[in-house]
Amino acid sequence: MDVIEPRDRFPGIPEAQSVESNDFVSVLRRRGALARPVTAVAPSAITETQATTILAFKFADGVLVAGDRRATAGNVVMYDRADKVLEIDRHSVMAIAGSPATAWEMARVLEHSFQFYRRSQLQEMSVEGKVRALSKLLRDNLGMVIQGVGVVVPLFATFDTKAAEPAKVFFYDAMGAQFEATDFAASGSGGPSVRSILYYENTWGSKPLRERDQAAAITVALRALDTAAESDTATGGVDRYGKIFPVIKVIGRDGIQSIEHDELASRFQAALT
Amino acid sequence: MIDEPYRWVEAIANRREYIEHELASGSPTMALSCAEGVLLFTFGKERKKIFEIYDRIAMGGIGHPGDLERLRMLAIELASTEGFTRSAADVSLRRMVNYSFSPTLKQAFEQIYGAPYLARLLFVELGDDPDLDLFVRLDYDGAMHGNAMAPGKFRDHFGVISGTRRSTEAIEAYLRGTKLGGLEEALTTAIRAWAIGLFMADEEHREVPEEAVLHEFLRERLPEYTVEAALLERRSRMRIAFVELDEKKLAKSMDPFRT
Repeated sequence: MDVIEPRDRFPGIPEAQSVESNDFVSVLRRRGALARPVTAVAPSAITETQATTILAFKFADGVLVAGDRRATAGNVVMYDRADKVLEIDRHSVMAIAGSPATAWEMARVLEHSFQFYRRSQLQEMSVEGKVRALSKLLRDNLGMVIQGVGVVVPLFATFDTKAAEPAKVFFYDAMGAQFEATDFAASGSGGPSVRSILYYENTWGSKPLRERDQAAAITVALRALDTAAESDTATGGVDRYGKIFPVIKVIGRDGIQSIEHDELASRFQAALT
Repeated sequence: MIDEPYRWVEAIANRREYIEHELASGSPTMALSCAEGVLLFTFGKERKKIFEIYDRIAMGGIGHPGDLERLRMLAIELASTEGFTRSAADVSLRRMVNYSFSPTLKQAFEQIYGAPYLARLLFVELGDDPDLDLFVRLDYDGAMHGNAMAPGKFRDHFGVISGTRRSTEAIEAYLRGTKLGGLEEALTTAIRAWAIGLFMADEEHREVPEEAVLHEFLRERLPEYTVEAALLERRSRMRIAFVELDEKKLAKSMDPFRT
């Protein structure tokens, strides 16, 4: 007996109206515009570029997301002005740790997927849907992860204007498992120290992170990345000579705000004295 | 029988007549340049007619909802794929309508054993300044009318689609006499233009109405319609320029026409 494909059960309905039509990744695949997932190659001898140390935490007005600027390949500093904190839509930010080659592509797919969904379906994708979309991309990358190249461990932060608790932070493992953070999350090679600092600040600091205002939140982020850079060579932290500061973005009800260089410089200076 | 050339021409003519008849009741939909960006404007009874296509491209459409939906999806898919594989700056309305839409529509229209698209579309691409705004009207047979498709041509600062040619021409004639201004002026102009279009769609109305007649005509009809408007914002902080304007924001421009 012939197997009936689901699409054939509704004769006359073209593919353009099937379920996968609102999924941009499927559209790209159909149009041959997406790189094929790598399945089996010999373990690579190249030294991969890595982007490192990102953090996100909730504060009084929303979520703060920050990342240092350094990208390394083994012992070599590849780039000291990498941007690992990427705006995905009006209220969502993805921060990346791991292989930039894969991560920036994921961010691009994600950004276009959300916009495509919103434009075609005439409604915003739910936060759950967005979080899941990133998880799917990580899962598609599994073949690479097993071979130890192209590993990405991102953070996803968003402000859900409709929810009772609007600020949301999610973190992932390299295989795509998603976890929602209560207060903060950190990833990358400097992640463990940042995590300890944020835990300390949140639990034993002057007051919980959630109750601090934006100025205080920025200071915490700068101090945490500076501290992580102290013991982790792959973390850029704050470069006082080159005047290179981490990228810090805050997401609130009105959308995303990138903190300007001058403000970071003055806050850091104030925190030193 | 349609193998004979004469029959084919006849079949096409019939088909054109049928589509024109179906489109005739379409509510005028227009786009106007203004300092703040490009305003897209229409009044409707039940269906949405103005849509976002890409960061700086929007679409207005009248016709059968199923066909509009297919064309809208095609536009979004084309623009998104181009924007993803190359960059947002490579997404161009001129290329999209010339190389994809016009041939697709023409083919569907002339293959007389298949169904044509019952649709008339208005595409808008926001420019860095009003002189670079692009408006393209695209018909069910693939025919195109753009404000800047041919070099050296005087550029209109608007684009219009309507149910009938008479109505479209009346609106265009009116808009040609208006000046480029701010958003509020554009809104008032658009409301007037829409009323003129609807008025002139009636074959019995020979001439464009006087202000008093137009006002009365509009006041009588407004309760049946809901306003739909969007702005492609020129100085948007985000890359995405499309913003829907809700009824509250439009109240100031609408109220004078309600009394």
